[in-house]
Amino acid sequence: MTRMTVTEKTARSVTEFMDDPISFFGQSYTQMHSISRAELQALQRQAMGIRFQQHRESIEMLRKLADRLGITALNDFNDVVPLFFSHTAFKSYPAALVDKKRFDLMTKWLDKLTSYDLSDVDTAGCTGIDDWIDRLDEQTPLEVITSSGTTGTISILPKDKCGARDGMTLWKICLFQTFGQEPTERELNPSVDVVWPNFANGKLGHLRIANMIKGGFTGGDESKFHALYPFAVDTDLMFLASKMRAAASRGELDRLQIDPALAARKDEFIAMQARQPQDMDAFFSRITEQLRGKRVFMLGTYHLMYDIAKAGLDRGVRNVFAADSAILTGGGMKGVALPDDFMDIIKDFLGVDRIQVGYGFSESSTFHWGCSEGRYHVAPWVIPFVLDPETSEPLPRTGVQTGRAAVYDILLRAHWGGVISGDEVTINWDLQCPCGQASVAFEPGIMRYSEKQGVEDDRITCAATHEVHNEVVDFMKGVDL
Amino acid sequence: MIAYTVPLFLRGRVVTEDLVPFDTRVGAAQFQAPDISKYVEQLPLKSPAAMRDLYELSFGEILDVLQALGNALDFDTNTHLQEAYEASLVANVLPAEMLQNSYRVLGPLFSRDNVTEIADTQVGLDYLNGWVPHKLRDGRELRVRAFGSRVLHIPAGNGGLVSAVTILRSVITRSDVIIKAPSNDPLTAVAIARTLADVAPNHPITKHLAVGYWKGGDLAVEETLYQPQHIEKIVAWGGLASVKHVTRYIQPGLELIALDPKRSATIIGHQAFGDEATTREVARRAATDIGVANQEGCANARVIYVLSGTDADGIAKANRLGELIYQELMALPAVVSTPPRYPNRELLDHVEASRMTEDFYRVIGGEHREGAIVVSQFDEAVDYSPMLSGRVANIVPVDNIDKVTAAVNAYTQTIGIYPESLKRRLRDTLPLFGAQRLTSLGYACNVAIAAPQDAIEPIRRMCKWVVDEECDASVVIPLWKLTPA
Repeated sequence: MTRMTVTEKTARSVTEFMDDPISFFGQSYTQMHSISRAELQALQRQAMGIRFQQHRESIEMLRKLADRLGITALNDFNDVVPLFFSHTAFKSYPAALVDKKRFDLMTKWLDKLTSYDLSDVDTAGCTGIDDWIDRLDEQTPLEVITSSGTTGTISILPKDKCGARDGMTLWKICLFQTFGQEPTERELNPSVDVVWPNFANGKLGHLRIANMIKGGFTGGDESKFHALYPFAVDTDLMFLASKMRAAASRGELDRLQIDPALAARKDEFIAMQARQPQDMDAFFSRITEQLRGKRVFMLGTYHLMYDIAKAGLDRGVRNVFAADSAILTGGGMKGVALPDDFMDIIKDFLGVDRIQVGYGFSESSTFHWGCSEGRYHVAPWVIPFVLDPETSEPLPRTGVQTGRAAVYDILLRAHWGGVISGDEVTINWDLQCPCGQASVAFEPGIMRYSEKQGVEDDRITCAATHEVHNEVVDFMKGVDL
Repeated sequence: MIAYTVPLFLRGRVVTEDLVPFDTRVGAAQFQAPDISKYVEQLPLKSPAAMRDLYELSFGEILDVLQALGNALDFDTNTHLQEAYEASLVANVLPAEMLQNSYRVLGPLFSRDNVTEIADTQVGLDYLNGWVPHKLRDGRELRVRAFGSRVLHIPAGNGGLVSAVTILRSVITRSDVIIKAPSNDPLTAVAIARTLADVAPNHPITKHLAVGYWKGGDLAVEETLYQPQHIEKIVAWGGLASVKHVTRYIQPGLELIALDPKRSATIIGHQAFGDEATTREVARRAATDIGVANQEGCANARVIYVLSGTDADGIAKANRLGELIYQELMALPAVVSTPPRYPNRELLDHVEASRMTEDFYRVIGGEHREGAIVVSQFDEAVDYSPMLSGRVANIVPVDNIDKVTAAVNAYTQTIGIYPESLKRRLRDTLPLFGAQRLTSLGYACNVAIAAPQDAIEPIRRMCKWVVDEECDASVVIPLWKLTPA
C-alpha cells in the first residue's frame, strides 16, 4: 500500500520530494525508509540535477567552481563529487576581518556561500560575531550557525530559518515514531519537557539548536526547557579561545590581542564560571523534583550524557524520567575515556528503556537515525557517498566500501548541499537491513580520520565546549585587561 | 610485511636478534629491530673512566679516522649505505632520487678540512686538545679544557645529514654517544656506525658509539637509560611533542640541548621589482627556498613577505611574483624538489577553499597536488600558515616592515632576505623578536655546519667546560689572610 502511494507521487512531484519531503512522505518515518531504492534513486538523481541548477545560479562560489571544472549539469550521482565542498569552505574568510570588525566584508564573503541575497544587510557599527549573526537573523532568511576550531578561525554555516523548522519536525518524526507503524497524533505532537545538559543559549553550532528545540518542542514555553547552565556562550569568547589555541601553538600568546569589548566583560565571564557548581546543583534539584517520572526529550553527546549521569548517580539520583522518554545522543569518542558500561550508567540514571543515536555533521540537514541493528539509516533526501580517503575519488556503490563519508543533501536550500566529512564510514550497499528499513545505512563504528591517525583535530567537538569556555576564561583571568 | 631490519649497533658489535616489529610512519609496511629492553643495560658506558681512551687519541688521529670514514661512505660501493637508502624509500616521504642524493653528500662532510673547520670554529682546537691558559686580573692562572660528555642523541629523520652531523659532533668532542635512530630515517646512523667499524675496528671512536631503535616514549627503555648515572646530556631534535616528552627526564646532572621545532620566514624588498631579470632571479631563489627537499625542513620558506605595497599596483606585483615563483618551483630539478608523495590533505582542502575566496586570495597551481603559491590580496598570512608543506607557500604583500616583525617569534629559525641591504638593515632588529639565522634569499636550506644552530652553539654545549685554577698565595690573596675591609 505504502509503496503504491509513493510510486504515484514519484511521477507527480519531484518538487515536493525535494522542497517538502516531510509532506511527501506523509510525516511518516516508516514511509521515508520504505521507498524502494530504485524509485528513490530516480527521485534523488532528478532532484540533485534541479537543485544544482538552482544553486549554480544563486551561489557564487559553487558557480565559479563548476565553471572552472566545466560542469554544467549533474546526471549521475558521481557527477557531483568534484563539486563537493570540504569543511574549510565555510571558514575560508581571513580571521583578520573579525579582529578588524569588517563585518561588511564578512557579509560579502558569506553572500558568495549562500543562495540568499545579502547585499542589503546593514552591518554598520557591528560589535562582534554574535552581533553580526543577530543582524543576519533580523534582516535575512538566514539562521547562521558557527562551530569552533583550533586554527584561529570558526566555521560559519549559512543555515536558514525554514531549514531549522524542518529540522525540528524531522527530529520529532525520528524520535517518537516507530518504524513499521504509521504515526499517531500523540507521536506527531508529543508533549515533553526538554532537558538540555549544556549552556542555555549561544550562536555556536549545537547551542543554537537550543533555540530551535524551544521552538520545535515546547512551543517557546521557557518553563519546559531545562538547561544545565542558565547563560549563553558568547561566540566572540569562543573565537578568542580558538585564536588563543592557535597563538599558543605558534608561541605567540604574548601577542594575542583581546578585543576591548570582550575584555570589559571579563568579570562577568569569571562570575559565570564561578557559579557553575551552584548551577549544576540547581539543575539536579530541578530535574529530580520538577521532572521526576515525566516524559522528557534529552539530548547531548556521549561524553556530556555520561558526565551528567555520573554526577547524578554520585548524588544518589537514578531512574529520573519516564521510561518512554526520548533520549538522543551521538558524537565522537575522541579524547574521552569512557568506561565500557557507560551506556548502562546513562540508562541507570535516566531510567529509560532505550537511548537513540544519530549520525550527522553540521554541514548537512539532519541526523541519520540508528536502527535496532545499530546502523545509521540515511534520510531519503540525502545521497551518501564513500570516497577514497586520500584522493576523494568515489568508491563503487556496490558491495562493502570503507572510506571517507560525503553526502549530497537535497534538502539544503540556503547553502550548497555537497560536503565531504572528516569521518571514516562503511556502507554495505547490497545489504537489506534486517531491521526492515529499505534505506541505505552507514555501519556502526564511525570514526574521525584525525582520531584514527592520532593527530590533533582541527575541531573542538560539542563535548568540549565547557572545557574550552573554562580555558579561555582562565586565560583572561591571567592577563591584565 | 617486514620491509627492513634496524640492527642494534652496540659499540662495534652488530645485533640482529630478539627482533620485534614496529609500524612505519608511511603506509602499511612494518620494520623490525632488536627488543631494546633486553639490551638497555648494555647501552650506556659501564664507567665514566672508560672514556679515558678517547683522551689518549691525538686530534690528528681523530681526523684520520673520520677521513677514512668519509672515504668509505661512497654510495656506489658501500652496502650499508645502499641498505639504508632502500629502507628510507619505505620509511621516508621523500622520492628516490632525492634520497639517493642525500647519501652522496655524506662522505665529503667527514673530510679533514671540513672537520677541522667545524672543530676549530665551533669549539676551538686548543680547547678540545688541551688546557688553554689564561691569567685573570687577580693573578690566578686559569686553564680551561673542553671535555666530551656521555650524550644521548635523538636526531630528526628528515634527512640522513642529521645523523651524520650528530656522529661528527660527538667524535670531535671525544664524547661517548648513544643515538636513538629516527623511524623515518632508520638506518643512516647504523650504516655510518657499521662503516666506522669496518674502517676502524676496535678503535676507541667505534667503541664509544651505540645506535639503536626504540619507540619514542617507551618508558621501560627511557626510564632506565635516561638517568644521570648513564648520560649527562640529551640532544633532542624534532617535533614539539617529542621534545616536550624528553623534558620529563631532565634533572640535576642530566641536561637537555633542545634543537626544537622551528618555522622560517622570507622577506623580499621592493628592489625585487626593479626589472624583469631581477624579479625572475628573486623568484628562482624564493622557489628554491620553498622547494628544497619538498619543504620538509624547518629552514624552508613558507610565508613570504613582499614589500610591494598593498595598493592595486603592489598587489599586482605580488601576484606577478607569485606566478614567477610557481614557474621556477615547477622547474626545479628532481634531485632538489618534486611534487610531494604524501601531500597533507587538510592543507589542500584549505588551499582549495582559498581558491574559491578570490577577494582575499589568489591561488596559483595546486590542482595536481604539485605544490601551490597562495598570494594574499591583503597584508595578512593565511590562517593555516602553520600547515604549509609539500611545496605550498603563501606570499603576503605588505606596506612596511613592521608587519613582518610582528610575525617573527621564538619559533622562527631562518629568515631568507632579499636584497643584502635590507638584511643589513634588519639584522639588529629581527633577533629581538626571535629570529635565529638571517641568510641570503635562495640559501635557506643550504645550511652551514660550522655555525651556531637555532641560536645556540650545540657543539660547545655538548662539551663540559672544566677549569683548572692555579693560585700562588703570594699573588692571589688567600682567604685565610683576609682582613676586614
